[in-house]
Amino acid sequence: MSAEKGLPKMKMFKQRNGWSETFPVSALGIVFAALTLCGCGRAATRVSIPVKVQSEIDINRYSNFAVLPFAREKRSSRDEAMPQRVGEEIASILRRGLARQKHFDVVSTQETSRILTGETVAEEWLTDIEHLSELGSYFDVKAVIVGNYRFDTDSRPRRYYGERYSIQRQRYVMNYQDYMQKTYFLTLRVLIIDVENEQVIWDESYRRSTAEAHTLGSFIFSQAGPQENTLRELSRRAIAEFTRRISPHYEREDRYLVQ
Amino acid sequence: MLKQNVSVLISAFTLLTLLGCATARDTVRVSDYNQFAVKAAQAELWNEAIFRWRQVVAMEPGNAKALNNLGVAYEALGKTDEAIAAYERATALAPDNKYYRLNYRRCRIHVRRKGATEDEDVQAEERLE
Repeated sequence: MSAEKGLPKMKMFKQRNGWSETFPVSALGIVFAALTLCGCGRAATRVSIPVKVQSEIDINRYSNFAVLPFAREKRSSRDEAMPQRVGEEIASILRRGLARQKHFDVVSTQETSRILTGETVAEEWLTDIEHLSELGSYFDVKAVIVGNYRFDTDSRPRRYYGERYSIQRQRYVMNYQDYMQKTYFLTLRVLIIDVENEQVIWDESYRRSTAEAHTLGSFIFSQAGPQENTLRELSRRAIAEFTRRISPHYEREDRYLVQ
Repeated sequence: MLKQNVSVLISAFTLLTLLGCATARDTVRVSDYNQFAVKAAQAELWNEAIFRWRQVVAMEPGNAKALNNLGVAYEALGKTDEAIAAYERATALAPDNKYYRLNYRRCRIHVRRKGATEDEDVQAEERLE
């Protein structure tokens, strides 16, 4: 019987592989490094604090607005399919959004309709700052909000790859399904006109999109069906972004507490 | 004579031991207060956290950690002036600490957005450099 047979298995393994000397040192090193890293990780704690973000416009100066109905962009490919009152609806969503902010007063929808009786807001109005300022003085406001919108859809076939269990082959096999993806895009351009100085103080576009998957049948129905709800939802999202930018609000931001 | 020396030695030893104990207790207390305040801050109990960190600063006016954390708590409550003052003291005490500098920088960005003058900003930047 050899002398090796009496040795514990671990010792034999160590001797065979020739790392009996380095093993404890490297293990200690790893443990030490792990402990150090753990310690470093706990040195600072990240917390999220509310931070007040100021409005991007002078809210002391521009405290009351008149929101005019939004005009349709002439380049829009689906002009004829759009409902007539979309522009007015976008404006009323914006009015509601601004009225919720304590810093702003907004001319009501009824009052706006009354003053604009007989007039139709067209895209050409956006460049006629003088006319818009004049309207603003009728409304007795500091600023007028106008804009236009473009609503597009894009449909293209897509293929979804997945796996299904094949009973015949007794294993998962690759599977795919074809569908139509219909994407709706809304581009909303919003301008704020300073009535007193006849200047554009805000001119930004907000683009929002949403997509839905269709089979061939549902796709045909969706082409013929109403799109108001999608448009309303996209408008709401775009307007929320605009309202957030021009009104003071809170955002969460990270800070580090040191232990 | 020997008895006197022994008693003097014993008294000195006792005094030193007591002093050591007191210091150790203070250190433990500061560390506990800080830990507790961090937990309060994580639970968004900012007033409680401020109370604890103020106590730490009262015990150890040069405690940069507590000053930095106090700055964060003040900022969370919207007291930007106090936050800036606390961050300034923390960064002055430990200019190389990246966390203090980061917090101070971020706070200053908000102050700048609120409309602080360019001069104030340049001064703060110089202090950080």
